[in-house]
Amino acid sequence: MKNVLTSRRLGDILSHAYIWFCLLLFVTPFLALLGYSFSGPQGSYAIQNFQYVFGSFRNNLLWSFKISALTLLLDLIIALPAGYALVRYPFPGKRILFSALTLPLYVPGAVIGIALVLTYNFTYHMITSIWGLVFAMTVGTFPLMLTPIVVALKDLPIAFEEAAQCLGATKWQTYWRVVFPLIGPGISAGLLLSFIIVFNEYLVTLFVHPPGVTTAPLRVFNLVRTAGLLPTTAALAVTMQLISFFAVLAFFRIFGTRYLKGTYLI
Amino acid sequence: MSRVNLSSVTKHYGQTVAVHEFNLDVPDGEFITLLGPSGCGKTTTLRMIAGLIEPTSGHIYFDEQEVTYLPPPARNIGFVFQTPALFPHLSVSDNIAFGLSVKGQKKEMIQGRIDQMLALVNLSDYGKRMPAQLSGGQQQRVALARVLATDPRVLLFDEPLSALDKNLRDTLKYSILDLQRKTHKTAIYVTHDQSEAFAISDRIVVMNAGRIEQIGTQTDIYLHPQTPFVAEFIGANNSLVGKVTQVKDTNETSRVAVMAEGLTLYSNGRISLKEGDSVLAYIRPENIIILNDLEGREYENVVEGVIDRVIFEGATAQLRVDVAGREFRADVSGSQRLTLIQRHGKVRLGFNEVTLIPVSKDVSP
Repeated sequence: MKNVLTSRRLGDILSHAYIWFCLLLFVTPFLALLGYSFSGPQGSYAIQNFQYVFGSFRNNLLWSFKISALTLLLDLIIALPAGYALVRYPFPGKRILFSALTLPLYVPGAVIGIALVLTYNFTYHMITSIWGLVFAMTVGTFPLMLTPIVVALKDLPIAFEEAAQCLGATKWQTYWRVVFPLIGPGISAGLLLSFIIVFNEYLVTLFVHPPGVTTAPLRVFNLVRTAGLLPTTAALAVTMQLISFFAVLAFFRIFGTRYLKGTYLI
Repeated sequence: MSRVNLSSVTKHYGQTVAVHEFNLDVPDGEFITLLGPSGCGKTTTLRMIAGLIEPTSGHIYFDEQEVTYLPPPARNIGFVFQTPALFPHLSVSDNIAFGLSVKGQKKEMIQGRIDQMLALVNLSDYGKRMPAQLSGGQQQRVALARVLATDPRVLLFDEPLSALDKNLRDTLKYSILDLQRKTHKTAIYVTHDQSEAFAISDRIVVMNAGRIEQIGTQTDIYLHPQTPFVAEFIGANNSLVGKVTQVKDTNETSRVAVMAEGLTLYSNGRISLKEGDSVLAYIRPENIIILNDLEGREYENVVEGVIDRVIFEGATAQLRVDVAGREFRADVSGSQRLTLIQRHGKVRLGFNEVTLIPVSKDVSP
């Protein structure tokens, strides 16, 4: 049987090849970094570099996780009621309000950084503290937490809440037993997006971090600036990349892609 | 288990009047239906009884308790929606148990009640399933079990069958009636489907544009409509505009002669009319009899006309007859419906009953 190279099959091959090419383009920097992180003295392969991850880099990673956790918590506390109010209650100026709440996404990091330094130090005369950093991160990631929640709420027919109320549940009970579980995937999408941003953020952190607090990306940035590109630094970078990668993978495994629509990331 | 009373209940949305001065008394255990076209205010009224909407003015009572501004959880009602609205993240059992568990009852104590409810709707083995695994009819039955589990005072139904196919609707509506009878609960049902309302209600409230047109049993509404809307909305009807020319009162009824669009009609009315009153005369299609040349003496109302169309429907035949320039619809059953398919042309029609409804002078035909 002849293998006929029709124009359609050629189109198929080319589109597949193109996709693989793009994939390779995105992955190559990481692969290069990965390869470099394994290099030891005189061109040998060593995994000792990764020991630094558990050694001197450990604090940095811990700070990153801590800041992320606090930011996500604060985001949730504000975004859950905000999302509910925006979707379920009628009031004028909703669209404008929602657009305003997504502004942080469109302001450059350096601008946010300078503005915050001015606000914290000169307006409020605050010394830099961990909360200053957390607030900065919260403002920056808030739109990413709010949008999937709003999308999930809009998709939730109001009949569920009305049914719960008619069965005897108070508004509070209705929220925790019916609304919250059903928008769970939306909340997780918000958590995922915010986590990725906060965990890898270094520009605003550079401006507002307290003296003792150095997050992982900030550490990498400082190291590269002072000591050049060391394999150990590469090891830290690779670890950060892997953590982000697994977070995303886990999310898609459990929830699929549905709840990321409207966030312009999918 | 509760009487329901609505007193001058009104709902405005800005300038629009959705419900106007609604007055209704529903005795304990009655199955009453709000029937009307889309937008007549029946769903709005039902939701005010449930507490999902607040009335603009008026009062609602359950027995002696005023519930007008009470939120739904405090009213102890059961509301069945058009979509089953089963909580997708809970199993059938957990759905049924929901009303009880939010009141703090323990799972072990609830279990007996869940089993009882499942048996009531013939879904005894379905407890562990998730709503997504059930068909539309099964879901609606679980929704019924769910509202009954909390032993509500009043059952409220918002067109629960309109999302289901015809066969399911026919069986499920009798299940709903059955459950209501068994549990002795006051039920208020909303629908736009006349046959559904007629099949299961004790009384019917016919609504139009936010107002009550007539309250009565099926026979009241069908045989003695009190407003033009009811006469035309319920069943099919032929209508003529006319004026009363003569009234002869006897002990029980009055024999009224009406001049309507060139025809003289006689009616034995129950309502009091005077000479000169403007009326609408209604004749139902099934009350029009095709007469042969010899018959007709026993009919007071005999007219002549020409058959325009014969629509053979199987058990009946629908005739469109031109009488004095007006098109009349007549429904014929029995052997006559077969002979008429062949014959067209002139006929004599006898009217079995003419219903008169008084109207104000500026009504148009």
